[in-house]
Amino acid sequence: MKIVVAIKQVPERDAPVRIGAAGRWIEEADLQWALNESDAYALEEALQLKEQHGGEVIVLSAGPERAGSTIREALAKGADRAIHIDCDDLGNRDALGVARLLAAAIQPENPDLILTGLQSDDLGYGQTGVILAELLNLPHSSLILHVEKSDTGITVKRELEEGWFQNIELPLPAALTIQSGGTKLRYATLMGIKRAKTKEVRRVTAAELPVPSEATASLERIALPQKQKTTQILTGSAQEAAAALVEKLKFEVRAL
Amino acid sequence: MSGILVVLEDREGRIGRISWEAVAAAIQLSSIASEPVHAVVVGADTATLAAEVAAKAVSGVIRMDHALLQTYTSDGYTHALEQLIRVRQPDFIVFPHTYQVRDFAPALAARLGQTLIGDVTSIAAGPLFTRQLMQGRITGTYRHNGNGPCFVSVQSGAFRSDSVTSGNAPVESFAPSLDAAQIRTRPGLPFRAAAQTVDLGSAQLIVSVGRGIKEADNLPLVQDLAAALGAELAASRPICDNGWLPMERQVGSSGQTVAPKVYIAIGISGAIQHLVGMKGSQCIVAINRDPDAPIFEVADYGIVGDLFEVVPALTAAIKAAKQ
Amino acid sequence: MVQTPFTLAEPAAFPLVERFLFAALAIASGSLFWRRFGPIFRRILQSKKDADFRLAPVGRRVWDFVSEVLCQSKVIRQRPLPGLAHAFVFWGFCAFALVTLNHCAVGLGVGFLSPEGFFGRFYFFFAAVFAFACAIGILGLFVRRFLVRPRWLGAKLSWESGFIAFLIFFLMVTYLAAFFVPAGSQTITILWWLHTLTLLVFLPIIPHTKHLHLVLSPATVFLSRGSFSRIPPLAGDEDFGLVAGTDLTRLVSLQAYSCVECGRCTEHCPAANTGKTLNPKEIILGLRGYLNEFGPASSEPLLGKHNPPIAPFQCTTCGSCEFQCPVGIEHLPILVGLRRGAVNTGTWEDDHGAKLFLSLERGSNALGMQASERDKFIQKQQFPIFDGTQEYCLWLGCMGGYDPKGREIVADFARVMRFLGTSFGVLRKEKCTGDPVRRLGNDLLFQQLAESNLEALAQNKVKKIVTICPHCVRTIQEDWKEYGTPPEVEHHSEFMARHLSRLPRPSQQETIVYHDPCYLGRYRNVYEEPRSVVSHSGQLLEAERHGERSFCCGAGGGLAFLGEETGERVSHVRAKELVATGAKTIGTACPFCNSMFRDALASSSDAAPQLLDIAQLTARALPQQDAPSAS
Repeated sequence: MKIVVAIKQVPERDAPVRIGAAGRWIEEADLQWALNESDAYALEEALQLKEQHGGEVIVLSAGPERAGSTIREALAKGADRAIHIDCDDLGNRDALGVARLLAAAIQPENPDLILTGLQSDDLGYGQTGVILAELLNLPHSSLILHVEKSDTGITVKRELEEGWFQNIELPLPAALTIQSGGTKLRYATLMGIKRAKTKEVRRVTAAELPVPSEATASLERIALPQKQKTTQILTGSAQEAAAALVEKLKFEVRAL
Repeated sequence: MSGILVVLEDREGRIGRISWEAVAAAIQLSSIASEPVHAVVVGADTATLAAEVAAKAVSGVIRMDHALLQTYTSDGYTHALEQLIRVRQPDFIVFPHTYQVRDFAPALAARLGQTLIGDVTSIAAGPLFTRQLMQGRITGTYRHNGNGPCFVSVQSGAFRSDSVTSGNAPVESFAPSLDAAQIRTRPGLPFRAAAQTVDLGSAQLIVSVGRGIKEADNLPLVQDLAAALGAELAASRPICDNGWLPMERQVGSSGQTVAPKVYIAIGISGAIQHLVGMKGSQCIVAINRDPDAPIFEVADYGIVGDLFEVVPALTAAIKAAKQ
Repeated sequence: MVQTPFTLAEPAAFPLVERFLFAALAIASGSLFWRRFGPIFRRILQSKKDADFRLAPVGRRVWDFVSEVLCQSKVIRQRPLPGLAHAFVFWGFCAFALVTLNHCAVGLGVGFLSPEGFFGRFYFFFAAVFAFACAIGILGLFVRRFLVRPRWLGAKLSWESGFIAFLIFFLMVTYLAAFFVPAGSQTITILWWLHTLTLLVFLPIIPHTKHLHLVLSPATVFLSRGSFSRIPPLAGDEDFGLVAGTDLTRLVSLQAYSCVECGRCTEHCPAANTGKTLNPKEIILGLRGYLNEFGPASSEPLLGKHNPPIAPFQCTTCGSCEFQCPVGIEHLPILVGLRRGAVNTGTWEDDHGAKLFLSLERGSNALGMQASERDKFIQKQQFPIFDGTQEYCLWLGCMGGYDPKGREIVADFARVMRFLGTSFGVLRKEKCTGDPVRRLGNDLLFQQLAESNLEALAQNKVKKIVTICPHCVRTIQEDWKEYGTPPEVEHHSEFMARHLSRLPRPSQQETIVYHDPCYLGRYRNVYEEPRSVVSHSGQLLEAERHGERSFCCGAGGGLAFLGEETGERVSHVRAKELVATGAKTIGTACPFCNSMFRDALASSSDAAPQLLDIAQLTARALPQQDAPSAS
């Protein structure tokens, strides 16, 4: 099976968030970067499929120069080769714009399966994989926890709301977005990093890919949310505190 | 080109709460854009759903019935809604941000050359749409550009479903043309994960007990609370070490890592070994007699008091609230 | 001929036949020795070179040799009575070397020590004293091994040990007997032959048994890496630690063959004493078994047939084994090396381990907490941010920054520093020093963490670090050296001990038992400073095992993050020992120990003693005014 995994480099989970000077995006100068979490699960799913059925895993990432380190990490975990779409204006493109770039790079590869993470930890659009399927005219499914190869294609386990799941059969080629937590991730190893040095990373610039770059949805400004998490201490007698807590659980948390 | 379409979803034969919230959002948008709101119900036979929506203050209800829409498929919904949108040429299409919408709406928007503005938490004049970024650490305000329709999905709980007033709307039908060959996926029936004896990992509600309970004989107190809530019972390590509860109920670095919707920590001071196992919970409630207990640092709600008084009161209050 | 009073009787000139017989037997014995020893020697030499080996400083090596080999310092210090018995056997052998050489020379008719000559008479008598002590010593060891039987010697009685003991005893007896036999009697020749035959039987047995240490351990001690728990840098792109035979270095192979199976390592091992699979002695013998079966050129995995894959991962890296070993075996580089081999190649699969690695790949701390939690703590405590003007950078560490109890310790230590008027600041961002991943053998992650921290410290122009965590101290000072020059670092016990005269004493003097953290004691040789701090706050009690022989809390080597242990919990065993002293308070000097005992004490039903770090003990006596509340 030839699998393309689209991955994204995002600010590290612990990264301090400060609003940039123009107010349109966060200050990137001091940030450290990591592989987007659900993309890590997409990669893991691809590697496991390859280990079971053979084939090739190609990672694809659009991003500036620094995305190279995340691509290396994916190669170190076991991907066979990579395509890096060199692109400095990722933030100015909307989900459709980015998906167009990725689709243009995927097209000549003719993969059997395209995997992406469910959503990115920074912009959180959660659309790229689904749009890719539309652009490449492939059947797709989203929020996938597990992929199994069948005689006719694949059977996937999809997460529904409120603890329900569903199995879906798809023919190949297909595109899937992978939910975090469906499998166990492997950790990066020294051996993997050393082996990755010799793997191919093909770089294409965004300009070389024939796609329009204007966005239909644009991010105008960003802000810090007014409310930070604080502990509300409920006071009064035991009965009063209990009643207050039930109110909160019912109307604010909506858990009752 | 004009109007607002809001696409609704049913839950067990009725319009779900989050869909009403989407209607509320569409109505708010209509006050900004001065355009009428039409609700769309999709399925094989939407008569009951349509009647339910027609009793609300919308300008019209569109029934989109087709045998191939009996079960949700991304292909079926995308083809059907594409036809409706091409015919009606709305300015806005509003969805509830459900798992189902996330599965097809981005593709539908892309087919029309648009990008969905998803998971919106508020709508302001412009219109400007606000949504969360960086996993909720910042908010971003979005604007739709160009002449095509604007696709928006709204976050659960962001708009008030009870703001939708009653009305009497006309119902019309739109018959999409669909072919079975267009539907490429074969969805199976929904199922729940096989019930395990103790499955803290996927529990939505957890009541967890620590050393503050003092003796094994006092455990029924928290067991009653868990039963009243319909929650799983968990414990900190010393409770399991003492054999008061089985080891598989231990939450923490050497036990299980949990992320329920609500985690109620009773008599747990909050050692790091415990915190690392439950810090991912969406809402943490702490009941402890010591106001300086570290558990209050991570809690959303805290009650400082004697658990032997607070817990029975809470059990009673929950039973009363559920009646 | 007049018998000179009380000296050794030697046989008169041998007939040619006997000379030839002796020569033939000696050659046979020697070649039997070499037939076994030769392959061992070759396996050691065929092992990979130790890339970081330097003979310098020779002075240190000579000193270690004199102290540990010639003076038997370790053997005696760790087990005084059997140690002394062993020392007498060893010294007996040394004294005997010249006698034996002469004995053989006599057999060939070229004896050079005359019982009549002044030196000969002196030397034979000198050797006799040692022979006597040696005979008593070996008898004592025999009694201990076969009648007393300490449990760490294992359940199996070794016939060869008994036989060897007999041979040594018999060698001494046949030598001493010659003092009581009149010169020229036939008995002398019989004694000579008995003595000779014993020698010739003994020689080929050496390489077949643990008595190989007679030959190898002097070299092992002399060639050892020299610093405690020194983890060698990986050499080149194909070195991932101890994966297969081809990764065994000469030092490792030499050490594997040097083990004398005394069981000191097992006796003190927290894992072996609490029902785990790991037994450090078996690890070394496992490597020996591997070398014997597969050899140093094999690609067969080291973890498999001869060593169970789980075993190295049960090590707390407390270092007791390496610290105790009398023959110079360095267990920690081997145990960590085996972990490196498994982790660096991804063959180690462990849910907790993978979780730890992934949280350090993505985040900043081993606990998987949000860095913003640390920021909140810093704000609440009003800790100044280090800006280059303060004297110390107060390193919080994962426990100090995130653990509620660790935070109390840091807060109290900060109060002490403020009281003393010492200026300090904390870093805005701090990553795990990499201690748990270093010990677990994840070199990739360790390098990333070390480099990122070194860069942050250099940017902030940090000159001196003080921290409450001995693991941070060790990792910063020793392990980071592989990737740069770390600033000076000290543990808060050392800092407080220096300033004790300016710190108030509490009014009441309670009893406090002090627990030595492995990473402060054995790893840093700091025993006295924390004790002086404890004594300042109360009456110091000692647990049964303390100081160099202190027993681990169970947290080290990354084990604090690896989930539930099999068998008994190490922390419970140690906590019981501390409680048994009857002290009112347990004094700790490491936030990991503290957190382990906190759990262990919480699950004991008795009224547990209170548990306080030495910083908290000290801060209790400070005036109250300048304290933002802890945690």
